[in-house]
Amino acid sequence: MIVPYSHVLFLAGVLFAMGVVCAVARRNLIMMLIGVEIMLNSAGLVFVAAALRWQQLEGQVFVLFIFAIAAAEVSVGLALIIYAYRRTGSLDPEKYNILKW
Amino acid sequence: MTWSLFIPELYFMLMIGVFFCLAMVLRPNPKRDFFIALLLSTLGVVVCLASVKLEGTLFYNVYRVDLFSQVFKVILAIGFFLVICICSELTGIGERYHPEFYLLLTTCTLAMMLLVSSVELLTIYMALELSSYCLYLLVPLRRGYGVHVESGIKYFLVGAFTSAVMLFGIASLYGVVHTTYVGEIIRVLPGVIGRPAAVIGLLLTLCGFLFKLAVFPFHIWAPDAYQGAANQVTAYIATASKVAAVAILTRMVALSSGSSTYLVHVLVTLSIASMTLGNLVAIVQKDMKRLLAYSSISHAGYVLIGIVSMTQSGYAGAIFYAVAYLMMKFTCFLVVVKVAYDGSDLKIAQLAGLHRRSPMLAMALMLGVFGLAGIPPTIGFTGKFLVFVAAMKKGYFTLVLIAMINVVISLYYYLQVVRAAYLLESDASLPPMKVSIPTKLLVGTLVTAILVLGVFPQYLLELTRAAASALM
Repeated sequence: MIVPYSHVLFLAGVLFAMGVVCAVARRNLIMMLIGVEIMLNSAGLVFVAAALRWQQLEGQVFVLFIFAIAAAEVSVGLALIIYAYRRTGSLDPEKYNILKW
Repeated sequence: MTWSLFIPELYFMLMIGVFFCLAMVLRPNPKRDFFIALLLSTLGVVVCLASVKLEGTLFYNVYRVDLFSQVFKVILAIGFFLVICICSELTGIGERYHPEFYLLLTTCTLAMMLLVSSVELLTIYMALELSSYCLYLLVPLRRGYGVHVESGIKYFLVGAFTSAVMLFGIASLYGVVHTTYVGEIIRVLPGVIGRPAAVIGLLLTLCGFLFKLAVFPFHIWAPDAYQGAANQVTAYIATASKVAAVAILTRMVALSSGSSTYLVHVLVTLSIASMTLGNLVAIVQKDMKRLLAYSSISHAGYVLIGIVSMTQSGYAGAIFYAVAYLMMKFTCFLVVVKVAYDGSDLKIAQLAGLHRRSPMLAMALMLGVFGLAGIPPTIGFTGKFLVFVAAMKKGYFTLVLIAMINVVISLYYYLQVVRAAYLLESDASLPPMKVSIPTKLLVGTLVTAILVLGVFPQYLLELTRAAASALM
């Protein structure tokens, strides 16, 4: 393996942190969903690197499944967001604040 | 490989097919849908009971059928059956969507059955996601009460975020232990548990299961989802889904076999935070379902006490507690569903005069609530006793002491509910409630089970011990 595992882990960590910031700080439901997708992809990166490190196929298979799950997640999430947009006319998470404590 | 091991799952897949056809081709007919669901779910319990003794592995050892998984499958099937029982007046959900409701509920149950049998990280992750997606869709399926959209969005976003965190944890765990089989990880992990990547990986992996169980930092979805979802869906999330979460959390914590004090400290902290916060916030609640949500957050803390003991008696206590919890919570939700017959949210004040309107439901509510509070001779007391004893044996005196104080705090709001049902009189003279014969039978069975298993827990205890020994 040309690139050391720790470097890939570091890159994935940075990507993960970016995803977390995007999911937590952005004030738009779709951007929050994209943040979650970035987090999923960073996990996929770690799997590919680990699969190469141990010379196994399990990690790569895991990534294929992550793709499928991410697609399912987006379809469920976007359906929900469109439904919410039709009912409230807003994508701003601040608007969804009826329920407290 | 022998397909007979897979029969409960195959049966539930067949059931999904039936509801899929109903949802596609036929005109809405809630009565027919309900009876088909009731019949199929009754058969489901029978099928699961018949396959309790099976043992073996399937699909290249990623799927293990043992006593632990089969016992949980029976509990899940019973939970599913009980929830179907209270769907006779499914007023919270539009008639057109009833087949879809049953379809998603069955899929979720199937996913949880897969979850309790999985012994490989990919299978666990897939099963967990499948069950979560069904619930994300079930919560906003409610007929327009305004809050259901908000609770659906919140539940989905928090859930998706947590599952991404969990996936990252699985990835870094895999990077350290170079295997995805749980059995292999048990062998390798104690040797490398000192490495930060291993501990962080395991902790992040646990996040996904802690989310399902609604333990402290991942609890924020619970009150909103409980209030926003239709009453029957809430009953399902509060009972069956919690049981599956306890099962998988037990299996994952058993991975470390007590070799990481760091993990123990984190879990103890989460347990204390979760029960304290749950109990304190529950005091101010006015909505019955929200109160039950906070009570379930605090119960997640009690279950963690059993799990964190990391001994066989601790795991057995946690499983016992999960069964007890299912019965007591379900009894409370049964009353909620019957009193709020139009599918609306139930305020605690609306329980006023229940003892006059329907003495049977009032008694069931009282017993369910006393069970949750842990008052003897109910099954709730036995469950608490078992997990506390397991923790005491490991020397966690402070933890048990804090839990005891919490039990006392929780008495306050549980007694508020009983007070509303028994001592307050309703302003408008509401007519007595009509309780159908099947409901009376169901209430009678539940009440008997809560009391009898509380006084004579031996048989159930033996069963949970045997199930827990399959883990070690």
